[in-house]
Formats: sequence, structure tokens, C-alpha cells
Amino acid sequence: MSGAQAFEYRTMRAAADYKRYLAVVLLALLVLFPLGAGTVVSEFYVSLLVRIFVFGVVVLGFDILLGYCGMASFGHAMFFGSGAYVAGILFKHVSPSIWLALGASVAACAMLGVLVGYLCIRSRGLYFIFLTFAFAQFFYLFFNSWQFVGAADGMPGIPKPTLGIPLDLGNRTVYYYFSLLFLVLAYVVARHIVRSPLGRALVGIRENEERTEFLGFNVHRCILTAFVISAVYGGVGGCLFTGYQNFVSSSVYHWGLSGEILIMDLLGGMGTLIGPVIGAAFVIYLGDVLSTWMHDTWLMVLGAVYVVFILFSPEGILGLAKRALPSQVFSHVVRGKGAL
Amino acid sequence: MSFEVFVTNLLYGLTIGSALILVASSLSLIFGVMGVVNFAHGSLAMLGAYLAYTLILLKFNFWWALILSPLVVGLLGLLIELFTLRPLYARNPLLQFFLTYGVAMIIANVVLYAWGGDALGIDKPGSLQGPVNILGVYYPKFRLFVFFFSAALALGLWLFITKTTWGVILRAGIHNRELVEAFGINMSRVFTLVFALGSALAAVAGVILGAMRNLNPVMDLDLVIGGLIAVVIGGLGSFRGAVLGALILGLSESFGAQLMPGFSKFTVYIVMVAILLWRPEGLVRGV
Repeated sequence: MSGAQAFEYRTMRAAADYKRYLAVVLLALLVLFPLGAGTVVSEFYVSLLVRIFVFGVVVLGFDILLGYCGMASFGHAMFFGSGAYVAGILFKHVSPSIWLALGASVAACAMLGVLVGYLCIRSRGLYFIFLTFAFAQFFYLFFNSWQFVGAADGMPGIPKPTLGIPLDLGNRTVYYYFSLLFLVLAYVVARHIVRSPLGRALVGIRENEERTEFLGFNVHRCILTAFVISAVYGGVGGCLFTGYQNFVSSSVYHWGLSGEILIMDLLGGMGTLIGPVIGAAFVIYLGDVLSTWMHDTWLMVLGAVYVVFILFSPEGILGLAKRALPSQVFSHVVRGKGAL
Repeated sequence: MSFEVFVTNLLYGLTIGSALILVASSLSLIFGVMGVVNFAHGSLAMLGAYLAYTLILLKFNFWWALILSPLVVGLLGLLIELFTLRPLYARNPLLQFFLTYGVAMIIANVVLYAWGGDALGIDKPGSLQGPVNILGVYYPKFRLFVFFFSAALALGLWLFITKTTWGVILRAGIHNRELVEAFGINMSRVFTLVFALGSALAAVAGVILGAMRNLNPVMDLDLVIGGLIAVVIGGLGSFRGAVLGALILGLSESFGAQLMPGFSKFTVYIVMVAILLWRPEGLVRGV
């Protein structure tokens, strides 16, 4: 090993250690957080973090599709909403078991993902955007008029889900740990996926689809797999959402939500997994702070922030941090230029 | 379906369709020349409608509002192109779509913030109130005005594109930007003007459709989706395609509401999905 190589190796090791250290500290803080709720920090923040965890799961899946594979879906609310409604209907009419709801949401969204994905992935770019958007609108319009689930008024009176062990999911703190567990699990699985041969192939498709096909990959199957994975992530997120809110309305299918998922991914930093979670946290926190005095019009601020990021830092918050901090810290967090 | 009902639906479909031509053709022109799918188009139209509403409140008459509001929106379009779209042309086209989505979000919520969420109405000029008798059917005069006005404007745009030197530059720019620039034409300036013109046309459509129906803070989605579907049906970047698509859409909306009440919103998306799956390149090729 030459001197330069040894140096590079040492910096890489140092960066990896640093990142691991950072991750452990962050996770420890999140685990300890509810203990201070009510005294050190407001209960409200526990609730906020639950929502961040839930949307973190959704955006992690979305990032595999947009950030790694380069396919921009504009209808991802269709999977979030399906997970949410499947859980709501099961909780209310079948069984309050969260495991049943999670299993059913995953199955439903996987099937939906295969079906919609099969029809959509033959098109690219803007046509893919329009098609996914149109399919999501079907669901929105359908659930907005289906009397069984309360049509436009939504579905109230959904019972609290149960775990099957003597822990009450209706308790905010318990739900906090439950959703945090899912976020960590979702992250670990996603990291595993993007480092697998499939993940490498997806990046290949993003960078040059034709070349990847010539290398012998079944491009369509790879994209479809990514689409279904992101659909399943969306379904899990939707199911966790209903479990916490105990209320579902057709707004979970709204195209604005699809847009927000896209914005979370882009703001955080596409193709980095951790960035999108940061993006979700940023969007949800900003929304909470601003909507108390701006109501729905807080979206104008989000739109402005988003436009500024597209113009000046399309690599998102993580890309901005990469430029601001010493280079070796982030050298392997942000790979290449990302999706764009 | 009786003859009167048929004529009413036909007229109404053609009226909506012709107003949609203004949205669709300008959307198509922007895409054809600049390669940008402008998701903010509906929001610009909506902004135009609300500006006209305020101008009329300020004692301008309808015709002045119909001229001034598109001018203001056109100017805004000029600024949007100069400051937000221009830095992105060399990048991935998806980024431009994402950007226009952000711009749409800003405009839509500024409108909501400034004018509130309730539906508003624009007073129609006195000479255009009341119905007129066509083939035994009483049809509102204002709708007839919307039809003839939009049709005339669309015809004017068509003549502009096909008969004038400016139109030649536009059509050449769609085919080969570098070559046009080699002839000493500043395409950057053309881009800016096309975007401004497109925004102004969207505002015209917003004003007349807003006066025909009403103004509400979600009309932007209806307009941009209507325009996009018309363009997609007709073929991205094709003027004749946009006209055809807009008329198909207008007629399917009026007859769809008549034949399948409650499902008219679905039909729009079904038409779009069917056409995209069947013929992704649209129905019409060429300008």
C-alpha cells in the first residue's frame, strides 16, 4: 500500500468511524427523548416525531425509486393512502391487531405496485409522472365518494391498534418507540437493498439505462422491483399513520401529498437514504411551525424553500452540509451527483 | 337524448373545449419550444382570474380587466423564466418540472392567502348577459362569447405560428435550436417571450372561464390537468394536437356529465390513461 493509498484508507476509516459515532449519538438521543417529554421538552414534540418517523419510512422507499433508480413518481400517495385505508378498514371492521394490518397493507401495496408499476414503467420521464399521477387520482376520486369508508367526510372512530402483548399502542410513548423501530428497520433494509447488486443496477439505470441493459440486466424487472419496494414502504407508512391518527380521510390520497413526498426527498438529498429522512423531518417541522398561524398557506413558504433548493442546491440539505463541512466527513455519504 | 339536450351539450362542450385550447396550446407551445412542461400554467391562469376580479372591484370594466390582467401575468411569466427556469436548461428536464411544481405551489397559496378560500364571481358585462336562441335552444350569451373569443384567439395564434417570421423562428427552434442560433437569432430571448406569451394566454383563459363559472382556489388543478391531458392526447408540442385534444376533452366533459353523472371526473383520467398506454406519442404529429 502506497503512502497516498494508506492516507486515503485512514481518512475513509476516520470518516466511517465518525459517521457511526454520529449515528449512535443521534439514535441514543431519539431513544431518550420521550423520557424528557412533559418536563424537559413538550409532549407535542413526541407527537411530531412520530409523524416524522412515519413519513421517514415512506420517503425512504420513495428514495429507492427516485434517488437511486431516477424514476419520478407523482402518485406515491396512492400507496400511502392504500396502506392507511387498508389499516383503517381492518381496525374498524375485522381486528385491531397491528400485525394483521401491517401484513395486509404490505400485501395490498405490493400487488398494487406490481399492477400499476407494470402499466407505468414502460414510459419514462414526464409520461411516467402523468401516468402515476392519473392512477393516484383514480384512488382519490374513488375513496372520496365511497360511502362505506365515509366518502368525503372520512372514516372516524377507528379503534386503537393492539400489539398482542401487554403494551398499549394507544400510549403515545409506546407508539413513538414502535414507529422509531420501524424507521430504523426500514433504513437498515433500504441500505441493504441499495448496496445489493439490485441497488447497483438501479444506479446504473439512473445513469445510463441503455448501457445497463447491454450489461445484461433486465432493466424493466429492476425498475418494477424498485417500484414495488417503494410501494410497500408507502403502505407500511400509511398503516402506521392510521394506527396513530385513528382517523382516515381521502386526503391521504391527495396529489398534494404525492408532491410533498417528492419535496421531502428532494429537499433532504435524493439518493442518500438518510437525506430523505432529514427532508421529511424538515418539511413536517416547518409545516407544524408555520401552519399554526398561516394555516394551509404555509405551503407557499415550503414552495419557496423548495424552489431555492432546486436552483442552488439540487443535492438537498445533505448536499449543502457536504459543502459546508470538512470533505472527508461526508465523502461517502453523498455519492456522485445524485439523481440529477 | 332529445335534440335540444344534444345541442346544449354540444355547444357547452365546444365552449369549454375552445377555452381549453388557450391553456393547452400555450402549454404545448412552451413545451415544444423550450422543452418545459409547465405545471404552474393552471396557477398562472387562476392568478389571472383573481387579478381580473380585483380590477373589476377597482371599477375597471370587464374588457380592461381582460386586457390588463393577462399583461400582469405575462410580466410575471417573464420574471419566472428569467430567474428560475433559465438556470436549469442545461440540467435534467425533470428538474424543470419539479421547479414549475414549486412555482405552482407558491402562486396557488399566494392566491389562497390574498383572496381567501370562498368561491367568487366575476360580473359579466351587461351586453353579454341573458340567453340567445340557437336552433331552438336558449344558450347564455356569455358562453357564446367565450366560444367565439377563444376560437378567434386560437386562430390568431395559429396564423402567428404558421404565417409570420416569428412563427417560423418558433417552429425552427422546435427542430434545431443550435441551427437557429447560428442564423444570429437570440433563442434565450425567444424562450423568455414564449413563456411570457404562454402565461398571458393562460391568464386570458382563466379570466373568461372564471367569469363563465366561478373563481375558487382549486381551479388551478382543473385547468392545468385539463390542459395537460389535452396536450397529451394531441401530442406534446403540436398545436393542432392541442386544439384536437382540448375539443375532445371539452365534449367528453359535457357529454360525460350528461350520460354518466357522478363519473365525469373519472372520465378525464380514463381518457388520459387510455391514450397514454395506447399511443404515448399522442394523436397528431408535427406542428
